[in-house]
Amino acid sequence: MTQTVGERLKGFGWRQWLVLVAFLLVLGFTGLHAFRAVRGAVYWRYHRDEPIRGWMTVGYVAHSYQVPPHVLYLALGLPHKRPDKRPLREIAKAQNRSMDEIRAVLQDAIIHARPPYPAPSPPPPDEESAH
Amino acid sequence: MTITDQLLAALSLYGLPVLFGGLVISSAGVPFPMTLMLVAAGSFVEQGEMKLWPVLLLASTGAVLGDQIGYALGRKGGRRVAVRISRWIGSEDHIYKAEAFAERWGAAGIFFSRWLVTPLGPWLNLTSGITAYPWPRFLFWDVLGQVLWVVLYVMLGKIFSDRVEALTEILGNLGWVVIGLIVALILGWNLVQYLRPARTESAENLELLADESRRKTNRRASVGNLP
Repeated sequence: MTQTVGERLKGFGWRQWLVLVAFLLVLGFTGLHAFRAVRGAVYWRYHRDEPIRGWMTVGYVAHSYQVPPHVLYLALGLPHKRPDKRPLREIAKAQNRSMDEIRAVLQDAIIHARPPYPAPSPPPPDEESAH
Repeated sequence: MTITDQLLAALSLYGLPVLFGGLVISSAGVPFPMTLMLVAAGSFVEQGEMKLWPVLLLASTGAVLGDQIGYALGRKGGRRVAVRISRWIGSEDHIYKAEAFAERWGAAGIFFSRWLVTPLGPWLNLTSGITAYPWPRFLFWDVLGQVLWVVLYVMLGKIFSDRVEALTEILGNLGWVVIGLIVALILGWNLVQYLRPARTESAENLELLADESRRKTNRRASVGNLP
């Protein structure tokens, strides 16, 4: 007579059980990451704005939040003609401010550069270039 | 400040040298988040802060160079250690079996671990060296896979340049899903082998009966054809 699956399971040695447990663990691990990927995609669909982090440049934040860069440079009191390649953390250090302060300043500027507020005015001439 | 933040900050500040150095070190086996760096580099290209061709060229060169370091470590030091250990535990034939396995599956392993299942890349470099996988072939598949990886991730970063972190998180999770599925397939195949009914006596009897019936049918047919 052919053995059923249950009967064959009963005849499993420790090696076979080990493979079965590993198989179930790997399935769980794969399922968890698949869930995270789907959750990330759903989040992506509904939240366009990325949280502002210390590694980001002013240019990147402007690009990510789709606001003119000069608005953010002005809010931070930086010249806007040449792109500042420093990450926000470096700018915070140079201005003796915390990252939270920088984040708050940028978020405030971003809110005021988007509807329902009027579109931001074109960039004024830099102080450096005006002199 | 995490290592990821530090690397990204350095990338935005110093650009290409950081990208190149990071890729050499990570491909040699140090776990740096280089996928994120490539996607971020793609985003910087889109914003006009970096140029596309130097990014692609230097990133590919750095990744391939790092892989050669891993391979050389495996070939010079790792092989000697592996042979000594297998001699010590009395299973020298395992090395030859591993070599035969690498000979058969090495190309696919090297190619896919460059761009699809990247966390396995540094391990494949070491094992390719240990199993003395031919270096020209290793280099060929390595260059092919790494160029594909770099182009793929930089272009993704360029296309989705405003959401670097979200994209990298999704890609990272998808990478683990692919690895999980491959391992689950291998383990599942083993389980099926255990669960598959062994060739029992009854199955052999059935085959004998089928043979007997076939013979009878043929005999009847030949009798029917008699004049």
